[in-house]
Amino acid sequence: MSNLNETEKRPNPDVLLDNIKDTHKTRGKLKIFFGYAAGVGKTYAMLDDAQEQLKNGIDVLVGYVEPHTRPETLNLLEGLPSLPPKNVIYKNIELKEFDLDAALKRKPELILVDELAHSNAEGVRNKKRYQDIEELLNAGIDVYTTVNVQHIESLNNVVGDITKITVHETVPDYIFDRADKVKIIDIEPDELLRRFEEGKIYRPERARTAMNNFFTKENLRLLREIAMRKAADRISHENQTVRHMSEKMANSKLLVCVSHSPSSAKCIRWAARMAEAFYIPWAAVYVESQDPDSLTEEEKKTKRSNIELAEKLGAEIVTLSGVDVAVVIAEYAKLSGITNIVIGKSQHKKLFKEDLEDQLIGLLPNIEIHIIPNYKKNAASGFGLRRKLSDKNIYFSWSDSFKTILFLILATGISYELRAIQIGDQNLIMVYILSVLLVSRMTKGHIYGIVSSVLSVLTYYFIFAGPNITFSKIAPGYPLTFLIMLLVALVTSTLTARIKTQAKLAVKREQRTETLYEISKKLLATRGLENIIKLTNENIIKLFNRSVIFYTNPETDDGHILQAPKENAAFLKKQDEKAVANWAFMNQKQAGTGTDTLMGAGAFYMPVISGGKSLGVLGISCEKGRLSQNSRFFLQLIASQVAMALERQALSDEQRFMIVESEKERMRSNLLRAISHDLRTPLTGILGASSAILESDDTLDEATRKKLISNIKDDSGWLIRMVENLLSVTRISEGTADVKKTPEAVEEIISESVSRIHKRFPERSISVKVPDKLLIVPMDGILIEQVIMNLVENAIKHSPDDSVIEINVKKSNRKALFEVIDSGEGIANEDLPYLFDGYVKSSKKGPDSSRGIGIGLSICKSIIEAHNGKIEAANKKTGSGAIFRFSLPL
Amino acid sequence: MTNKSLILIVEDEEAISNFISTILTSNDYHIITTKSGKEAVLLATSHVPDLILLDLGLPDIDGIEVLKNLRQWSSIPIIVVSARAYEIEKVEALDLGADDYITKPFGTSELLARIRNALRHSQGNDNSRSGSQVFTVGELKIDYEKRIVKIGEKEIHFTPIEYKIIMLLSKHVGKVLTHAFIMKEIWGPYTNENQTLRVNMANIRRKLETNPAEPKYIFTEVGVGYRMAEKVIL
Repeated sequence: MSNLNETEKRPNPDVLLDNIKDTHKTRGKLKIFFGYAAGVGKTYAMLDDAQEQLKNGIDVLVGYVEPHTRPETLNLLEGLPSLPPKNVIYKNIELKEFDLDAALKRKPELILVDELAHSNAEGVRNKKRYQDIEELLNAGIDVYTTVNVQHIESLNNVVGDITKITVHETVPDYIFDRADKVKIIDIEPDELLRRFEEGKIYRPERARTAMNNFFTKENLRLLREIAMRKAADRISHENQTVRHMSEKMANSKLLVCVSHSPSSAKCIRWAARMAEAFYIPWAAVYVESQDPDSLTEEEKKTKRSNIELAEKLGAEIVTLSGVDVAVVIAEYAKLSGITNIVIGKSQHKKLFKEDLEDQLIGLLPNIEIHIIPNYKKNAASGFGLRRKLSDKNIYFSWSDSFKTILFLILATGISYELRAIQIGDQNLIMVYILSVLLVSRMTKGHIYGIVSSVLSVLTYYFIFAGPNITFSKIAPGYPLTFLIMLLVALVTSTLTARIKTQAKLAVKREQRTETLYEISKKLLATRGLENIIKLTNENIIKLFNRSVIFYTNPETDDGHILQAPKENAAFLKKQDEKAVANWAFMNQKQAGTGTDTLMGAGAFYMPVISGGKSLGVLGISCEKGRLSQNSRFFLQLIASQVAMALERQALSDEQRFMIVESEKERMRSNLLRAISHDLRTPLTGILGASSAILESDDTLDEATRKKLISNIKDDSGWLIRMVENLLSVTRISEGTADVKKTPEAVEEIISESVSRIHKRFPERSISVKVPDKLLIVPMDGILIEQVIMNLVENAIKHSPDDSVIEINVKKSNRKALFEVIDSGEGIANEDLPYLFDGYVKSSKKGPDSSRGIGIGLSICKSIIEAHNGKIEAANKKTGSGAIFRFSLPL
Repeated sequence: MTNKSLILIVEDEEAISNFISTILTSNDYHIITTKSGKEAVLLATSHVPDLILLDLGLPDIDGIEVLKNLRQWSSIPIIVVSARAYEIEKVEALDLGADDYITKPFGTSELLARIRNALRHSQGNDNSRSGSQVFTVGELKIDYEKRIVKIGEKEIHFTPIEYKIIMLLSKHVGKVLTHAFIMKEIWGPYTNENQTLRVNMANIRRKLETNPAEPKYIFTEVGVGYRMAEKVIL
């Protein structure tokens, strides 16, 4: 039933499209006041502009302005309505933050929010202020804001290089690029420095340090240039027709290689600037070369932040896995039509291996490779990597040690035998080499191979060579033997390790594909919203071992929760968690733990989107820590499968709804056709009788008059019952397709119907049997009452006046069975199949002889079917009479 | 009845209004009629009728609004006239303080019975009854002081909840009590004991009635609530 309600709410696609158009139309406009350093007068300019707007009659609201000490600026605030800041307690410090919800509620035409790059305190919905501003814009509110050049994400490192100060609060470029207006606030650096000296920008004690570090004339000039350039780029973009550009660069695609080194950030920024400058799409690729354990915590963190940075700058994120990084990247680049690759210059040289960039150049002769040099920090990272690797190689295991010793003993034994039958010494060496090869193959890491090669050389030397040949004579050959053995060991173990990792990766990949395939297969076979949700939840628990909640629409439903073993998922039901889910649903973005939005939540929320429309939200508990990038990616794949399943379900619901609708329509029109005839008869009677009384009142005798009046009464009684039956039909069609069921006590329904029948036929006796145990059946009480009344009335009409009508109710496995039995003449066999179908009466009787009953029965049928029940008629097996039976599911 | 009772008929359908007026006049009631809800409120203040027959479907304002307005200042008995298909409307009206409802179409005898009943309630005829310690209808006898319920001479044992329900119904004998009202009175506000109420009612019925499917004392109004009979035809 809920499915159908769901579809009922599903808006028609055209309306949706209109809505989308509308939202585009009503999205707020963003104006950025852009400066190159603090103190250029951005806030002043913003407030000045706002005052102007206020004068023009615009509903302006000051959302948040940094509490400056500059009196000129404060003066400008006068007369502007402002929103009180929200106080957030963080680590016992009271912080003042912009109150987003109050602003959304107040919904002014224009709102002023200072400092676009600000990071919100923990506990506020969004991590960054620019996210607040995006929400404001989405709500159709115009926004004025301010930002300095060093906060623009892609320029971050450029500015950092110049000023030697790293700024952590950054704004993604797309915010800047999509702004409707950017106003550059510019003053001469000299003027700025003078302001600065006057203490207008910072308090004097801070001014000194700032002056030495940041506010040098040199820095300011450079910053000014960068800011101007950035603004100029924007203008040049606007001027160029996009079409012209895109044609030219239509086939370009940029790929940046991301590693776990902090220097990757530079490559990412560079690529972002490139991509923006040429209007080309770009992707960031990360290759998982070894199993994740090979990275230190530090490296994992950098890797994650690098990927997040790329995502923020608008890159498509691709994670690949493979052993040979160069080959994997080359494969991907070929497949996805990459034209340019950006890569950091790898610092640590390997002896026998080409650099990654050189390999790429070799593999991809047609692709341009941009190499970004790295400096600082990467030495440390290289070291970390090596340390980790060597850690792995000095890996100790009893079984591997045992294997090594076993092979050496075996080799020695065989050598003894071979020597005994006088086989040349060179063959003994071969035996040892074979043992080294086997050891390297069977053990983990390089170390056992190396140890076994050393041991082989030594045993060979001491056991076989030692006593017979003098050391000095044979000695020159041994280093070579040793070297060969060592090489064999190294090569073999490296190969083995590689095969093992590859196999592991392949298995992992295989597993994923398998699970995904499994899920999509099951989803395909699943019908019904409930089942889809259940299946999704179960699979997610199986995959992630975390509790999960699934909302089809957080605004209207309460979510379907499934708890993972040993986890308490009760918190997912909380109202604030639901609010996060709702945010994710409305904004079609991920939210909660591990994201930038509402990261205070206890779970991670992934919207299920299809065709730009949210179909649901998946919430994954993060009690066990945040979800990895990989898991999120995988979850996204699952979400898209679920989206497809939901979409399909919705379509099939819609189709079923249509079928039911048309069925109902058919029934209604049949009914109408039938009653228009049936209604005429009593109406004619009433009209005739009443006009007879009115027109010839004086000539009528008392008895005739009485008779006419009682005819009127009878006919109107019949009309009333007819109308009540018709009302029942409208009751079914009023709802969607099913009836509204509430639990009702069967005996109450029966007793009410019987008492109503009694009023009409006081002389007839009716015997009622209901079960002793209270039987509660979900039903629409009024409708079932109507059914019983119709059946009893039918029985009364078709049985002798002195006979008894029986009503029996029984409970039989998961059904309630109702029976109305009379002892009349029974039903003609040829009528049985058509009894409930409509208005065809057995031709033996005139159409008026049993008027209305046909309709009554067909209404009974539609009511019972709307309850998912069954109705049937039969003749009594013993004696004459008919039995009408219907059952309702419990 | 010594004084003729004054009845205000609020009904926009002229034919129905006429027929009701005729019947009531011939049964010795004074009547005033109106077609509009707003006028009904004014007439109720100026004439202070003994009873109001209120049709819910009015041309100007919703009958429910009239009911709310009247109930703010007056306890004049109000009988709501409604169409049968909308039992939610009835429940709402009863919960808002209507004394009774009558469903269209209705016969004259039913109408007169309802009016008599409502008037009796308001004129305190049954206050004496509820004030008294013993309530009797048919063979059913409830002794409030001793907390004893008897059918004929046989004492019947009830659980505390069942006794509370039966007491509540007997205190409002003849009046329909909505499910929501009973639940509020027995279990307190903000509860939803719909299922429990039905189970309790079924138990009561099994203890009181000879055939639970043909009750004599407590009647069900499907979708609305329960009513205790004032008279029992034995």
